[in-house]
Amino acid sequence: MTNVPKNMTASAPALTLTFQQGERKADDRELVRLSQNGTVAAFEELVRRHQQRVFGLVGGILHRPDDVEDVAQQVFLKAYLGIRRFDQRAAFSTWLYKIAVNECWDYLRKRKVRPLVYEADLSEEQVSRLDGIVSADRPPERPGARAETREILERMLATLPEQDRQLLVLKEIEGFSVQELAEILKLNVNTVKVRLFRARGRIMDTYRRKVTLAGKGHEASAGHGKE
Amino acid sequence: MATNERFATGACEQYEALLEDYINGDLSGADARSVADHWQTCAGCRSALQRAAAGARLLRAAEPSANPGPNFARMVMARIRAAEVDEAAGRTNFWQPFVSLGWRFAATASVALGLLVTYNAGWGRLSQPKIATARPIESIDILAPEPAPAPVNRDEVLMMVADNSHANF
Repeated sequence: MTNVPKNMTASAPALTLTFQQGERKADDRELVRLSQNGTVAAFEELVRRHQQRVFGLVGGILHRPDDVEDVAQQVFLKAYLGIRRFDQRAAFSTWLYKIAVNECWDYLRKRKVRPLVYEADLSEEQVSRLDGIVSADRPPERPGARAETREILERMLATLPEQDRQLLVLKEIEGFSVQELAEILKLNVNTVKVRLFRARGRIMDTYRRKVTLAGKGHEASAGHGKE
Repeated sequence: MATNERFATGACEQYEALLEDYINGDLSGADARSVADHWQTCAGCRSALQRAAAGARLLRAAEPSANPGPNFARMVMARIRAAEVDEAAGRTNFWQPFVSLGWRFAATASVALGLLVTYNAGWGRLSQPKIATARPIESIDILAPEPAPAPVNRDEVLMMVADNSHANF
């Protein structure tokens, strides 16, 4: 409380400051308890803490960037409306991610849409970039390159079964742990591990196929140029 | 789900979950050594492990979702406030018919009460009912002889006159 101005201690902005600058950072349990007692600023702090992971989770499942923000907002709205019923037996994050997953399924069911599936051949440049990553274990350093890599990978991931795609995106790109994935997707931990292991093999098969296709395309265009 | 699906990674089935742990660095020293001993001697597991590790490298090079920024939390809170207003409005709408009925009932009761008061205060006074006047209760002498019954015909009248004449003499 030393960094909080005295005249702000009772107001909502002051609570926000307390959460961020106080001597001790309030943990999720404390913020949940305050939210349950009607402190809106505490819930706002929870939103700030978890918004990126919820974004990643929703984006990983929906695969539709335009709708991610709307669904993520809906997730937090549902969490706010249900927080009084949350008994804190599980971690707040686990409870929140379960809401997010349910909201995604609801969204997909209501809109009767399937996650976008499109597959396009890779350009020579894209293949060489992926080759560099696979062989050197070196992430691209150029600004924006990782975003481009994700775009290329999303196209390859779209060819996998939906659950494999989600598991790979959430685990390897968004950074969820196997334990978290098992809890939020209601799967056995061992099942998640086996699926992940197999899905990694599949994505490499897709990658090899793309590389082969790109090589053939290059040879064909070179042959065509000679004629 | 996963167990129903046959997908040949080339790895020994009982080692797939362990190899996944191995890639993620989730195995302790002894377990990691045991798995390493296995894949070094098993060509299928070695090949599957190499493919999976390459897949992991590929995926980890992709950019995770960006942080939506501080505006996101503000927008969420605005949406929450809007939802609360809607909910309050919804609650009002739910009770509206009952409130309306209550007001009608209150109005009817007021009119009825007014009519009753008016009747008692003004109109009722015009046709005032006869008020019984109080009379002192006559004292009754219980020792006095019972009065003679009233004569019912002419003969009885004459008999009574004769009796009274005799009594006076």
